[in-house]
Amino acid sequence: MYFRLNPECYFIKGECRSAIFDLIEGEIYALNEQETGLVSSFEANNPVDVDNEFLIELKRLCLGNFYSRSVYIQKIRIGSPRSENQINIPPSLARGFIEINNSCHRDCWFCGFNGIKRSSGCMGCNKWNEDGQPLSLDDWKRIIEELRDLDCRNLIITGGDLTLDWDRTMDILDFSYGLFPKIFMSFHQESISREIERDIANKATAIIQTEKLSDTLSDGSIYLLIANGSNGWKPNWIRKDNIIVDYIFKDQNHIPKDLPLMSKAKLSANMHFFLNNIRHHPCLGHTISICSDGKAIPCPMMRKYALGNVGKSPLYSIFQDFYLDKFWKLTLDKIDRCSSCEFRFACSDCRALEEALTGSHLGKRLCCYDPKIGEWQL
Amino acid sequence: MLEFETAQGNKYAWCDDVGLIIPESLEMRAILNQINLQDPVLDESILKTLMKSYNEDEIKYCYKWIKKWRKIMPKQNALKIPQEIPAESIKPFVLRHCLRQLILDVTEDCNFRCKYCTFSEYYEFTRGYSKRHMNFEVAKKAIDLYANLLKEGRRFNPWREHYIGFFGGEPLLNFDLIKECVNYIESRYGKWHYSMTTNGSLLDEEKGEWLLDHKFSILVSLDGPEEEHNRNRVFCDGRGTFNQIMKNLATMLEMGYKDIRAITVLDPKSDISEIEKFFQRNDVPPISRATNVTKMEGCKYYDQFSKEDQQFFLHRVETARTRYMDRISNNLKNNKKNPFSDALFYRILISMLLGPITLQSSKSLAPFTGTCVPGLKIFVDVEGNIHACERILTNFPIGNVYDGLNYHRIGEILKDYFHHMERCPSCRVRKLCNKCFHDFCTDQGFSSSNNVCQEIESSTLKSLSEAVSIAEIDSKLVDRADIKYESLMKWRV
Repeated sequence: MYFRLNPECYFIKGECRSAIFDLIEGEIYALNEQETGLVSSFEANNPVDVDNEFLIELKRLCLGNFYSRSVYIQKIRIGSPRSENQINIPPSLARGFIEINNSCHRDCWFCGFNGIKRSSGCMGCNKWNEDGQPLSLDDWKRIIEELRDLDCRNLIITGGDLTLDWDRTMDILDFSYGLFPKIFMSFHQESISREIERDIANKATAIIQTEKLSDTLSDGSIYLLIANGSNGWKPNWIRKDNIIVDYIFKDQNHIPKDLPLMSKAKLSANMHFFLNNIRHHPCLGHTISICSDGKAIPCPMMRKYALGNVGKSPLYSIFQDFYLDKFWKLTLDKIDRCSSCEFRFACSDCRALEEALTGSHLGKRLCCYDPKIGEWQL
Repeated sequence: MLEFETAQGNKYAWCDDVGLIIPESLEMRAILNQINLQDPVLDESILKTLMKSYNEDEIKYCYKWIKKWRKIMPKQNALKIPQEIPAESIKPFVLRHCLRQLILDVTEDCNFRCKYCTFSEYYEFTRGYSKRHMNFEVAKKAIDLYANLLKEGRRFNPWREHYIGFFGGEPLLNFDLIKECVNYIESRYGKWHYSMTTNGSLLDEEKGEWLLDHKFSILVSLDGPEEEHNRNRVFCDGRGTFNQIMKNLATMLEMGYKDIRAITVLDPKSDISEIEKFFQRNDVPPISRATNVTKMEGCKYYDQFSKEDQQFFLHRVETARTRYMDRISNNLKNNKKNPFSDALFYRILISMLLGPITLQSSKSLAPFTGTCVPGLKIFVDVEGNIHACERILTNFPIGNVYDGLNYHRIGEILKDYFHHMERCPSCRVRKLCNKCFHDFCTDQGFSSSNNVCQEIESSTLKSLSEAVSIAEIDSKLVDRADIKYESLMKWRV
């Protein structure tokens, strides 16, 4: 008899152990070395013992089945592999960040201005210690049209404080409305008001940056909760639909091991996420960010990687030398510590934060798993 | 789901809604016969009845798996023939996804009279033979138009590069124009990617060196050994063309020309075994693809062959397939290379198993059949009219080099085409379909899919079965063609 995993189940091997990813149910099954050997063997169409309890368990879990002859299992996928190989395919742009100003009267301790290391700083507002000439309203409208023409799926409008010149912000939002499937805008909680919520209603989703969640949360908004050791690293927050926890790292030598970013909690067998991560970085992939002075960078938190300036040249020119593509294709396969890990396609990763913590854009600090011995070191 | 069986006797089902093959057992089929996959709720009593007739564990497993599979089934309401193609969506689509190649029909003249030529009397709706050449004014306009379209399209697709192909007739009969075009392109726009499809008879040393200097990718029509080739590919006076071509190819290969490949056309008299041997020779360029003589509306070429001829040909193909599968079974170790059978079978394998769009709604303006959106290629005839490709009839122009692409016309053609695709919404092999405008066009417009696609499900399932039969022997043959393969297989022995 033979045994094969089902089309929806991917078997990924690491240097030591392996895992099965059920992309329909979103489940991950970590395997020990013995199980790894067995799955490697039957996935290569070698015969199996029909009474093997491990295989019976896999079948009970609906992950695979026995066959009387060797079979071909076509794995589940999204899109067409043949099309991906074709020439002259346009870039697939999922996220376009535009920082339409770099001004703010507040002095938040966690602001990018203070060089703070944060896990989701890209989703919040930041003031940067940069003195480039701000782009004009017309420049932003041109860039927004260019993002639309590149088929960008999510526009994220950030600052600075977007409410400082609200008429200008609304002008940009109104211009963008209808050009993108989704628009997000980031605010500090103190800036947001009922009037502002009303102005952007049905046009954009507010991302509200806060240190303390109020008792009543708006279902239509996303909350970016600043978290550090003092308010407790409540890992379960990360699972709430409209709350993103922004972990702030003050002391990189003392990072709790049970932090979601360090532990199994960061893994996901979501089908789109997993299949995307095989060729693209889970976050940098399909992303571009435009600073207030027109500088294009791979993500809002990676300030030193200038791809060009779209105030001086068209947005498409940023794509033409394929420098951005190198960030998009920076899969975890290319990160030393992750390359031998069986969870490499199911893992989230913030390159900006890892670089801030390790000093290298290929570094890895935020993980407790040692793929070389196959253990979580909690 | 459509069932099929492979040469090894395994059963599978093609799930067109998802665009994937699933392995199938008797129990799986028994359940599928009882339920609607879109809503797989099975009555307890039916399940109990099935358990009496089939393996109980297997019934339970299959039912559980089918319920799981249902979670990824797309909603059925998307399957409608588009009534309108929004005019405003055509230009951005063309600028983003199309314009992959400019093809210049530099001459309609040809020094060959190949018996299966689509311009021969066997083809009712094509233009027939002609002596017309393209002039430089038309070519220059076409080049400028294409360059401008790509310039305009950069904001939609910054990764696109310029590709130009020279086509005919026999393009080397107008070699001066080709040179003039390349000189113009390089002086005005820089280097482009060049290609040419030729019969090879005029490919002498001087031309070869010039083509090599400009890094032309060359496709030469070559149907096999002398007897095979000369059976159909002849000069205007009826003489065979084989010796002339082989002499020229020897010169090209001697000068180190690497980017030169053969394309081979088969008809019911083709001796596949002899063709296989021929392409194993060292003095023959690698083969790019092997195809059957073009079948399209109004084609009478096949009428000259008896049923026995056709059956004998199918027998030869099957014998070659068996040899190919034996070779794969033996891990290719004890067998000589066989580039021809690779070209013949591997292409279908990849097309069938890696081609379909899975779990993603097509972004194309052409949601049914395998057709492209006109504008994917810019085929320019000798007069400067633009057509969707070199294979489509001339009565579907989509613009001209003077006025540019006619986006409104592209929309009209698409709309008209889909109005004739009545069969598509109920077709169960939609995602495997490789039919396109070429298969439906006549001088009076498009034929109905009800006429053209009568046996589409059975013939597609046959191809699918053949492909999976090969994949069962060595799945790496398929998997390796996926660009994700290396990453997925890392650390595996």
